[in-house]
Amino acid sequence: MFLENAFEFLAGLSTAQLIAYFWPFFLLDMARYLLLDFIVILLYVPKKIYQQAKYSHARKQLYKERPLVSVIVPGKNEGKHIPRLSESLSYQSYKNIEIIIVDDGSDDDTAVICRKLEKQGKIDRFIRNEIRGGKASAANTAFNFSHGKYVVHIDADSHLEVDAIETILLPFYMNNKIGAVGGDVRVANNDRTFATRLQSIEYIKSISTGRTIASELGILRIIAGAHGAFRRDVLQRLHGWDIGPGLDGDITLKIRKLGFQVVHEPMAICYTNVPETFRKLSKQRFRWDRSMIRFRIRKHRDILLPSAGFSLPNFLASAENIFFNLVLDVKWWIYVVQMLMINPALLGYIFIINYILYFLANVFEFIIACVLLHSSMRRKDYVLFLFMPLIPFYTGIFLRIVRTYAYLMEFIHGASYNDKWNPWKVSRIAKKEKL
Amino acid sequence: MNNPDNINNNNHTYDADNYLNEHEEISVKRHPYLIKSENTSLAIEGVKTISKEEIDKKDSDDVAFWLIDMHNWQEGWNTLCTIRRNLSPKIYLKPVLFIVDSSNIPDEIINASDGNLPLSNYSILLLEEWVSRVNHTNQWIANLHLDNSDSNIAFRVLRIIASRHIELEPVTTIRRHSGYVYPILEPLFTKRDSGILDTLSFLESQHLLSTRFISRAHFCSHCDSAFLNFKETCTQCGADDIHSDELVHHFKCAYTAEMAQFRKGDRLSCPKCERELKHIGVDYDKPSIIYNCNQCNHSFQDPKIMTECFNCGRQSEPENQEHRTIYAYTASAIGRNAADYGMDTLFTNILETELNLFSESAFRDFFRIELSRINRYNISNSTFALIHFGDIEKLYIKLGNQARNIFQALSNIFKSVLRHSDVISAKNETLFLVIMTETSLEHSQIACDRLKKEINELFKSNLDFQPQINILTKAFTDNLELDPILEKFLNDVS
Repeated sequence: MFLENAFEFLAGLSTAQLIAYFWPFFLLDMARYLLLDFIVILLYVPKKIYQQAKYSHARKQLYKERPLVSVIVPGKNEGKHIPRLSESLSYQSYKNIEIIIVDDGSDDDTAVICRKLEKQGKIDRFIRNEIRGGKASAANTAFNFSHGKYVVHIDADSHLEVDAIETILLPFYMNNKIGAVGGDVRVANNDRTFATRLQSIEYIKSISTGRTIASELGILRIIAGAHGAFRRDVLQRLHGWDIGPGLDGDITLKIRKLGFQVVHEPMAICYTNVPETFRKLSKQRFRWDRSMIRFRIRKHRDILLPSAGFSLPNFLASAENIFFNLVLDVKWWIYVVQMLMINPALLGYIFIINYILYFLANVFEFIIACVLLHSSMRRKDYVLFLFMPLIPFYTGIFLRIVRTYAYLMEFIHGASYNDKWNPWKVSRIAKKEKL
Repeated sequence: MNNPDNINNNNHTYDADNYLNEHEEISVKRHPYLIKSENTSLAIEGVKTISKEEIDKKDSDDVAFWLIDMHNWQEGWNTLCTIRRNLSPKIYLKPVLFIVDSSNIPDEIINASDGNLPLSNYSILLLEEWVSRVNHTNQWIANLHLDNSDSNIAFRVLRIIASRHIELEPVTTIRRHSGYVYPILEPLFTKRDSGILDTLSFLESQHLLSTRFISRAHFCSHCDSAFLNFKETCTQCGADDIHSDELVHHFKCAYTAEMAQFRKGDRLSCPKCERELKHIGVDYDKPSIIYNCNQCNHSFQDPKIMTECFNCGRQSEPENQEHRTIYAYTASAIGRNAADYGMDTLFTNILETELNLFSESAFRDFFRIELSRINRYNISNSTFALIHFGDIEKLYIKLGNQARNIFQALSNIFKSVLRHSDVISAKNETLFLVIMTETSLEHSQIACDRLKKEINELFKSNLDFQPQINILTKAFTDNLELDPILEKFLNDVS
């Protein structure tokens, strides 16, 4: 009855009224997430086929040169994940790799596990920093003791597809202006809980598809810490990573500022473990979302300004992120207030129609992802389709509330400077120096 | 089967007074004897002289101590060895003093005597003081039952320690491969004898010596040398040409690298952000240390520790070398008794012969089998008993030279109460473990009560001594475990 009334309400709307009532969807989200994705994918798929010869040539070049690749894994209390990671690395199709694990002041048995693996020859180097310095410090320690021409940064709770390293290196052999390549990140524990299933859909949409499209548009703004490859000379120019949280997005922008391109390689697949409860997930996103304010609006504000080193792709990479995450986040609250003011009695209908519109948009995006990634999709990834009806609630309500809270806390309190993710002494300096 | 009551009726009525009488001072005037050396003819006022060859023939009861001229210390050492290796307790146990007039004698030689007389400060008074000082040792020797010569090196060591009432402390030395010496024992040992450390370890395992921890030391597993060079080596190529550097973490920019990268003259400057590093803990810290190999450029944190023997040159990992504890030793109550009356007076030795004691490992096997048998068939009962003698030190002092007879009587009590089918083992002189097969808990308690009563009567009638005897009996049930019971029992009785 309610649905019938909602559809009657929808059918009775003129085009102008339709846009007026549902402008966030029709004017913004549909344009950005549906039409643009669709157009880019239409161009990307034939291009991918066309580039097969280039990929093949790049692979030959890679094996001809056979450069040493340093796989660096910084982390704290990650010992339990390292045996599986080192095993997955031992099966890599590309063999000339050195594995460097840096223990950032763990207080569990990480050192014991890693020393054993080092003695067994399953990892090449294990460095334990007795005093925790934060992830950037650990990554820089690893980088300092690496020798590879390329450096692949991986999170400890991840493991790789057998050809992941080989594939992530190929773009370097196709374009020498590429400074860094982002690998695809999929959810390893996607059948563990309700929360991991929803995140799995989100990763397929926003990382696998979203970053491929951003990469095609030349506006990729982040190379995930979970799986990213860097040219050694580029990292040397930057002297490694800066203080986080959000150090992966930060270094991506710094590489772009140096004039290098950054691209996403969806077929270089890494599986990572995501938070299994909504509570842990909200903490993770609270941290991620704050870094958007801290790095894009504060630290790298110069990208947005018409300075001497102005670059349109860099501007777009940052501006797109700020607009669609920050500005459009505000838009939602304006929209809710607007609807309340116009006619609160219609809120129920508006909500259900919005839900259906966004559900259909998500289905469409998922289908695009399936077309794009079908060769690497697992059977259990397709099962996720059953959870699609919940995605509008997950992204539209849960993640939006977390994001809004994160933005407010960062704007008002600079909450990221108090995050325990970094040691207090590092956070104190970061806050003092406004980093 | 002997009844302990019979003991009072035979010729051996044992009481503690006999022991005390035997240890009363025997009043003999004793003199120092200087052993003539081959090349010098030293004569000292108030000191008799004797040649090395005459020592064997000498009635040594009137010898207070042997004096050896250490003018030629190698010759003096040989003389000391001759004395200490003599088989007669009256000769080898006698105190020996060195006459020294120089300080170039190695410490382990000087300390091998019971004392030293400096020739420059010599006086009759000093001599008399030494006679009186070693009197208790001479008294102890005089009271010995000297039926036999002492050929067993372990027994000789025990008697040397017991006769001097000393704690035998090791001395470190660079002149012996072993690194540690027990100087007073050195002249006892010929090359044919087993090592001093092995002998002391044997005596300790028999509870004849008590130990006090001194140190733990590594010895070469090949040549037994204590002189090992512990080296940090490269984990990759094994070279010891390595150097270490501290890692520095600059908080502001997260740059982390070796200290060498930050060093600019006498300042520290960050290569990434070019800021000067001022205060450790405030703007930077040192999270770890990194080693670098100068041979193969490998970087690592846990250098491989290797040992190289200075004597035989062999290289090995420390865990493959001998790792021993070095102790100071004193004679235990049992050891003092054994030194007085001979090793064969020990209770376990007697019981071992009389009762066929099983080793602890064999006992554990029997225990396990009996437990399985009872649980499997569930038709009969067996009992496990623990018998503990408290105040064993007091008991040994009371026993004196009657130990053998008393223990013989004690073993007869064990034999009369226990049966041939029972399994008996001794954890040490004070704790006995018994499996009483096919005996209910009730019957075993009756047997144990009888055992306790008869032992009490034996000690009371012969020594007027009430020993502290603790007995625990447990029926074999499926949850019976040896070690927890043993642990609890020992905690309760201690």
